[in-house]
Amino acid sequence: MNIDFVATGIALATFFGISALMALSLNLEYGVAGIPNFGQALFVSIGAYTTALTYTYLLPVLAAHEAIYPCGSTLTEALQLRTGIIRNALDVGLFNLFWTFLIAAAIGGLVGYLASYPALRVKEEWYLALVLLVASEIVRIIVRGYEPIICAHNGMSGIAQPFVAVGDSRLASILFAGLVLALVAVVFLYSERLIRSPYGRLLKAVRENDQVAQSLGKQVARVRGQIMFIGSAIAAISGVLFVINLGFASANDYVVALTLDVWLMVVLGGIGNNWGALLGAFVVTVLDRVTAIAAIQLDAIDVPIEFTFVRFLLFGVIILIMLRFRPQGLVPEKALTTKAHQVLQS
Amino acid sequence: MSHIPHLTSHISHPPSHIPYHVLTHHQNEYNRPILVDWNITLPTTLLLDSLIRSIQVGSLYALMAIGLTLTLAVMRLPNFAHAELITVGAYVGLVSTNWITGNLLLTITLCFIVAALVALVSHKVVYQPLEQINSSIYTMILATFALGLIWRYIIFILVDFFRLYDLRIKVPIAIWYQGQAMTLTNIFFWVVPTAIILIVALSLLLNFTGLGREMRALADNRSLARVIGVPVDRVVNMTWILTGGLAGVAGALWGVQTSVNPLMGFLAILSVFAATILGGMTSFSGTILGAYVVGFSENLVMQLLNYYVGLDFSFKPAIPFIIIILVLLFRPQGLTGFTESLRTRTIRRSPAPQ
Repeated sequence: MNIDFVATGIALATFFGISALMALSLNLEYGVAGIPNFGQALFVSIGAYTTALTYTYLLPVLAAHEAIYPCGSTLTEALQLRTGIIRNALDVGLFNLFWTFLIAAAIGGLVGYLASYPALRVKEEWYLALVLLVASEIVRIIVRGYEPIICAHNGMSGIAQPFVAVGDSRLASILFAGLVLALVAVVFLYSERLIRSPYGRLLKAVRENDQVAQSLGKQVARVRGQIMFIGSAIAAISGVLFVINLGFASANDYVVALTLDVWLMVVLGGIGNNWGALLGAFVVTVLDRVTAIAAIQLDAIDVPIEFTFVRFLLFGVIILIMLRFRPQGLVPEKALTTKAHQVLQS
Repeated sequence: MSHIPHLTSHISHPPSHIPYHVLTHHQNEYNRPILVDWNITLPTTLLLDSLIRSIQVGSLYALMAIGLTLTLAVMRLPNFAHAELITVGAYVGLVSTNWITGNLLLTITLCFIVAALVALVSHKVVYQPLEQINSSIYTMILATFALGLIWRYIIFILVDFFRLYDLRIKVPIAIWYQGQAMTLTNIFFWVVPTAIILIVALSLLLNFTGLGREMRALADNRSLARVIGVPVDRVVNMTWILTGGLAGVAGALWGVQTSVNPLMGFLAILSVFAATILGGMTSFSGTILGAYVVGFSENLVMQLLNYYVGLDFSFKPAIPFIIIILVLLFRPQGLTGFTESLRTRTIRRSPAPQ
C-alpha cells in the first residue's frame, strides 16, 4: 500500500470536475427540460474528436509548423511534433485549447440542436432515448473504422494538457485541475442563473407538460432545440477536458457505459437540481476511484473473486436502490419561487 | 463504471488470466462464426455462404426478438436486460452439455427454465416494485440497464471463478458439405428448425389458447383487461416466463454457432432491438420479418457491400443501428402496415364466417 495522496487528490479533483460538467449538462437537458438524452457519450466524444483534430491540424499551424497527417507512416513524426509544441510553448498550447473549446462547443451544440429535431418526429417519447443511444454507437463505430480522425481503432496518443509546458509536473496537474474546477464553477453559476430565470421556468413548464406550454403560445420545439444546444455544448467541453486528461483518444471510451455513468450521477444526486448533479458527480467519482484502488489492492492479495466485476455490480445495485427508494435523489429539486410570488403568498 | 475517467486503471492491467478480448468491447463484435476463407472470392459460394448465415442469424434474432416484442406489447417496457437472458441461456447450455447431460432436448429445457426464472425474478424484484410507484418510462429504461449490468457482472464473476471463458457448447458436429469457400455443418439444420418450431409454437399459443387471448387483451388495453377479469398478475408472470425461456433457448442456440462469453447477449441486443423496431414494436409477424431483414442486412447485404463497394467489415455493427434510426424517424410503425395489409388480404379472400 503506497499511495501518493496528494497526487490522488489532484487527480480526483480533475475527474470530479469533468464528471460534474457532464452531470450538469445532463441535468439541464433531462432534469430541467425533460429531454431523455441517452446519447451523452456522443456529445462527449464530439469534444474528444475535435480535440484530436485541433491537436493535429490547428496546433502546429499556431506554432508556425506544417500539419502532419497523424496516422500511418507519419505517426511518430506527428506525435513528436505535437508533444514538442505542447512541452515548449505554453501560450500556443493554451491558445489552441481555447480554440478547441470554442470549436467543440459549436459542433457539439449544433449536433445537439439537430438531435432535438427527431424529438418532434418520434411517435413515442422514449424513442428519442433510443435514437440518441444508437446514434452515439453509430458515430463510435464510424470513427473506429475511419482513419483520419483518431487513426481508427488504434487511437491517438500525445494529447497532453497544455500546462505541462511549465515544467514541474505536480504544478502542471494542479493548474489543470484548477482550470477544470473553474470551468465547473462557471457552468454551475450559468445553469443556476438559467434555471432561476423566466426561461428556466419555461423549460420546466415544457418538462411538466409540453402541450400546456404549447397552448400558452410557447414554441416547445425551439426551446428544446436551444436547451439541447446548450447542454450538448457543455458536454462537448467536458469531452475536451476528458480526452486531454487521459492524453489518449480512443473510440472505445465513449460507449453506452459512459452515458450510464452520467445518468447515475444525475439520478443519485437529484434530478433537476444542480447541487444534486455536483453531489452525484462527486459521489460517483469518489466511489469509482476508491473501488478501483480497492480492486487493484484486493486482486494483488490473491482473492479468488475479481473485484473489478464487483464494482460494476455495486453501481447497478446503487442505481436500482435509488430508483426504488429515493427516486427524487439525494438532494431533491426545490420549488423555486420569485420575490413577487412570495409577496403574493404572504 | 469503467468509463468514468481514470488515469491509472484506464490503461490498467486486467488480471492476466482473463483473455483480453473478454474485457474490451470492440474486439468481440467480430466474434461471429467465420465460415469462409476470404481470400478465395468466388461470388456464388460467397453468396451462398452469406445466405446461409443470414437465415441462421435471422432465425435466432427472431427467437430473441419475439420475447422483446412480448415485453414491449404486454408490459410496455423496453427491456435492455433482455440481453442477459440470452447470455444466461448460453451459459446454462454450456454447463449442461459439458458437465450434466448429453441429451440436447434436456439441455434446451434446462436453458428455458433457468432463463425463465431469471426473467421472473427480475420482474418480481425490480420491475414490479418500480411500476407500483409509477416510475416514468425513462426510470424504467434506466432500471433495465442497471439490472442488465447486475446480471452481466454476476455472470462475469461466476464465469471468472469457474474459468468458463470462450468455451464451446458441446454438440455433435458433422460436416455435411465442405466446399472451396464454405462449410455446411449440421448446426445449421439444428438451429434454424428449432428456432422456427419455437416461433410457431408461440404464435399458436398466442392465437389459440386462453393465455394467449389474455396476453393480447393486456397488450391492447391493460385497464380494460383488468376490468373484464383477466388475472393480470398471472398473465404478466407467464409473459415473463415465456420471454425469458425463449431468450434462454435462443442464447443456447446462438452459443452453439459461436463461442460463449459473458458479453454475447449485450453485443447482440441492439440488433434484436432493431428487429423489434422494424417490426413496429408490438407486432408479432412484423418482428419475425424484421429479424430476417436485420439478419440479411448484417450478412448478405454487408457481404455485397464489401464485395462491390469495398466497405470494411468493421462497419458491420453499425447496420442494425442505422436501421433503428431510419425506422424510428421515418416509419415508426415499422413493417406492420405491410404485414397487416397481407393479413387483411388473406382474410378478405376467405369466405366471411357466419
